[in-house]
Amino acid sequence: MKMQNQPFARRGFLRGALATAAVIPMGGALASCAAGGGSGGGSNATGTVSADNPFGMAGSSTVDAVIFDGGYKTDYVQFAANVAEKKFQGSTFKVTPSTAISAELQPRFAGGNPPDLVDNSGAQSIGISTILDQLEDLQGVVNANNYEGTKISDTLYEGVLAPGTFGGKVAAINYALTIYGFWYSASLFKDNGWTPPKTWDEAFALGEKAKAQGKYLFLWGKEAATYYQELAFASAIKEGGQDVRLNIENLKPNAWKQDAITKVFEALEKHIKAGHFKPGGSGTQFTAAQAQWSNNQDALLYPSGSWIENEMKDQTKSGFQMTGAPVPTVTSGSKMPYEALHSGAGEPFIVPSQGKNVPGGKELLRAMLSKEAATNFAKTKLAPTIVKGTVPADGFGSTALVSQIKMLDGAGKNVFNWQVFDLYGTNKDQLVVWNAFLDGKSSAAQLADALQQISDKVANDPSIKKVDIK
Amino acid sequence: MTQPVSGTTKGGGQAAAAPRRRKKLTWDKVSFMLVFLGVPFVLYIIFVISPFIQAFIYSFTNWSGFSPKYDFVGLSNYVRIFQDNLFLKALGNNILLLVVVPLVTIVLSLALAVVVTVGGSSKGQVKGLKGSGFYRVVSFFPYTIPAIAIGIMWGQIYDPSNGLLNGLLRAVGLSGFKDYPWLGDSRTAMLASMFVIIWGFVGFYMVLFIAGIKGIPAELYEAARIDGAGRLRTAMNITIPMIRDNIQTAYVYLGIVALDAFVYMAALFPNAGGPENSTLVMAQQLFFTAFQRGQFGVATAMGVVMAVATLGFSGLVFLVNRLTGGKDQELV
Repeated sequence: MKMQNQPFARRGFLRGALATAAVIPMGGALASCAAGGGSGGGSNATGTVSADNPFGMAGSSTVDAVIFDGGYKTDYVQFAANVAEKKFQGSTFKVTPSTAISAELQPRFAGGNPPDLVDNSGAQSIGISTILDQLEDLQGVVNANNYEGTKISDTLYEGVLAPGTFGGKVAAINYALTIYGFWYSASLFKDNGWTPPKTWDEAFALGEKAKAQGKYLFLWGKEAATYYQELAFASAIKEGGQDVRLNIENLKPNAWKQDAITKVFEALEKHIKAGHFKPGGSGTQFTAAQAQWSNNQDALLYPSGSWIENEMKDQTKSGFQMTGAPVPTVTSGSKMPYEALHSGAGEPFIVPSQGKNVPGGKELLRAMLSKEAATNFAKTKLAPTIVKGTVPADGFGSTALVSQIKMLDGAGKNVFNWQVFDLYGTNKDQLVVWNAFLDGKSSAAQLADALQQISDKVANDPSIKKVDIK
Repeated sequence: MTQPVSGTTKGGGQAAAAPRRRKKLTWDKVSFMLVFLGVPFVLYIIFVISPFIQAFIYSFTNWSGFSPKYDFVGLSNYVRIFQDNLFLKALGNNILLLVVVPLVTIVLSLALAVVVTVGGSSKGQVKGLKGSGFYRVVSFFPYTIPAIAIGIMWGQIYDPSNGLLNGLLRAVGLSGFKDYPWLGDSRTAMLASMFVIIWGFVGFYMVLFIAGIKGIPAELYEAARIDGAGRLRTAMNITIPMIRDNIQTAYVYLGIVALDAFVYMAALFPNAGGPENSTLVMAQQLFFTAFQRGQFGVATAMGVVMAVATLGFSGLVFLVNRLTGGKDQELV
C-alpha cells in the first residue's frame, strides 16, 4: 500500500507546483502594485526666501529630477542643472533619465517619495488627471524673475501655460514649444512649382498632381495614425472656431459629428478613396513610414509636430529643406484664418508636492526658463522653447526652425491647443480607429461614430475625474 | 512545499507515520529544514504569496496607483471589466490564442522530435534522420532570442513596403502582395502574430520531447517494428502514450504563454491593440488601465481574472488528460 501511494503523493506535489507556476503571470503582472502606506516627504527643510532664492531652497541641498529620455534626450536639463549649480554653490542637482516615467515613478508616488521635478512625457507618461491633486501650483515659478532679472511670465509666448493649467492651477509647465502642421520638402515643391494647400480642394488637386508623378500625397505609420486626428481636428477648429474644440474637450454628446469635423473627415475620405494615401501604413512602423516621406519622397506631405526634423535627422534626404505650413481650412470663409495654428507646449514638467525638496524642483525649473538655458535648447534641439526670442533669424541653419518662427508670427493670437486626448489617455483606442479609416476599412461616418463612442465611454465613467476645459 | 510530508501521513496510514514523528529533532535535521524548507518558504511568502493577496485586495478598491489613498468599492471593478467591450474582446483574443498556439506548437514540435529521434532508416538500430544533430541545434535557435527581439524582428519582416515577406512573395510573382500590411489588416494580424509566437517556441518543445523520447526503451520500438508497425503507427501508439506527461506539461506552459502574450503583442503593435483590436490581449489592457489611465484597482481586477483563467485552464488540461486515460489513472 505504501509503495503504491508514494508516487501519488509525489504527483500531488508536482501538481501543486504546476498550479503555482500557472499563477505566476498574475504575480508578474502585479508585482509593482504594492502600495507603501508611507506619507513621507513633504517635510521640506527650507532656506530663506530672497530675490536670488525666490522659493527658499535650503542651502547645500540635493534636487532629484527624473527626466523623460525621448527625442530631446536629457542633456538640456543637465545644462540647466549646471547653470543652477553655479548659482547655488554646494547644492547638487541630480538629473536621472527615464524612458518609462509611469512604470518607474508609480511606486515612488504611491510610497510618498516622488522626485522633486519630473518631465512627465512620452508614450508611458502618467495620466495627469490621476496625480493632479498631488502637484504643486507652479504659478509662483512663472511670477518669479528669471536668472537675467526679467519676470518669467513676460518672457513666454502667448498661451503656452494653457496646456498645463487645470481648473486654474498651473500643474505643469510645458517647456518645448511644438508647432503642428504639414511638413514638406521646400526644394521638391519648388522644382515642381507646387505650393502647400490652403483648402482641402487645393489639397485634392495637389494629390492628383502627385499621382501623375507616381507619388502619393500622404502616408502614415501604425503607431502614429492619430497624427491625422491632429490634422483633422486642427483643420475643423480653424473652420468652425473654438466652439468645435470645446465641445470635444468637454466630452459633449455628438461632438465628433459637428459640421466642421464632418466636412474634414469627408475631405480625408475623398483622398483615401482616390488613392492619395500610400497603402500599407497600418502595418508599417511609424519611423519607417516617415523615412519613406523624408528619404524616399514617396509622399509629399506629412502632418506632424515640429519634433519631426530632429526625429528624422539621420534619415532625411540631403537638400530636402524641411519646411512647415499651416494645415488647410475647409472653405475660404473659415472662422479662423488659414494662418491660425495648433501650437502646444510639450514636455510637461511637474513638481510633486510630496517631494523632499519642492523649492529645489522649482529652482531647477527656473534655471531651465533662463534665457541661457532656453537658448541652449533651441540651438541644440533646433526647436523653440516657450521662452521668446531665443532663435536668431537664420534659425541656426535650419529651414524648419525658420518656418516655425514664421508660422508663429503669422498666427499671432490665433493659436490654439487641446488637452483632452492626453488628459484621459484615449490615444490607444483612437489609434485603432484611425488605422482602420486610413486603410479604407471604414467610412467617415463610421470614424465619427467610433470616436464618439470612445469619448462617451470616458464621459459616462463616473470613476474618471473630469476637468472643465475652457 | 509541505506536500510530501502530509502525503506520507495520509497514504502511509497511522501505523507508518507515528514512529516517524517520535524521532528526535537533531540539530542536523533542524538546520537542514531551516535552510531547505524555511528559507525558500519565507522567500515564497514574501515574493509570491503576499503580492497575490495584496493584488486580490486592491482589486476591490478604487486605488489610482499613484497615491497611498484608496477606498473599498466592493465588486464594482469586476462588474465594470465584464461590461467593458474592450476587455471582453481581449479575453476573446486570449482564448483564441489559447486554442491555437499550444496545439499547433505541440503538434509541430512533436513531429520534429519524432523525426530527429526515431524517424530514420527502418533498418538496423532505431535512430533519427541523417544529420539530426544539426536540425536539433538549428531549430533550437529561435528560443535563444529574447521575445522582445523576436517581436521587433518579425515586425520588420512583415513590413508592407520593405519587408522580407512581401519581398519574397513579389519575387515569386505574387504582385498582389505589394504593400500588403500583414500586421495592419484584421484578417491576417492575429494569424501573423500567432505564427511569430509558435516560431519562437517550437524548437524548445522539440528538445523537451526529444528528452522524453530518449527515455523510452529502444526495445519497445524494435518489438513494434518486428511486429510490422510503420513510422506513423509507432509514433501514435508508442511515442505519444509514453511521453504523455511531457505533453501535458508543455500544454500547460504554452497555455500560460498564450494567456499572457504581452511581449509579442506589445512589440508587434506598440501603443495599441492591433487592427480593429484584433490582437489586443488582457495583459495589454491591464497595462494601459494601470499606467496610462491610473486605475490600478480595475487593473488588478483584470489580473485576478487572468490568474483565474490560467488556473482554470491548467485544471482543464489535467482533467482532460485523466478522462482520456492518462497514466495517472492506471496507477490509482
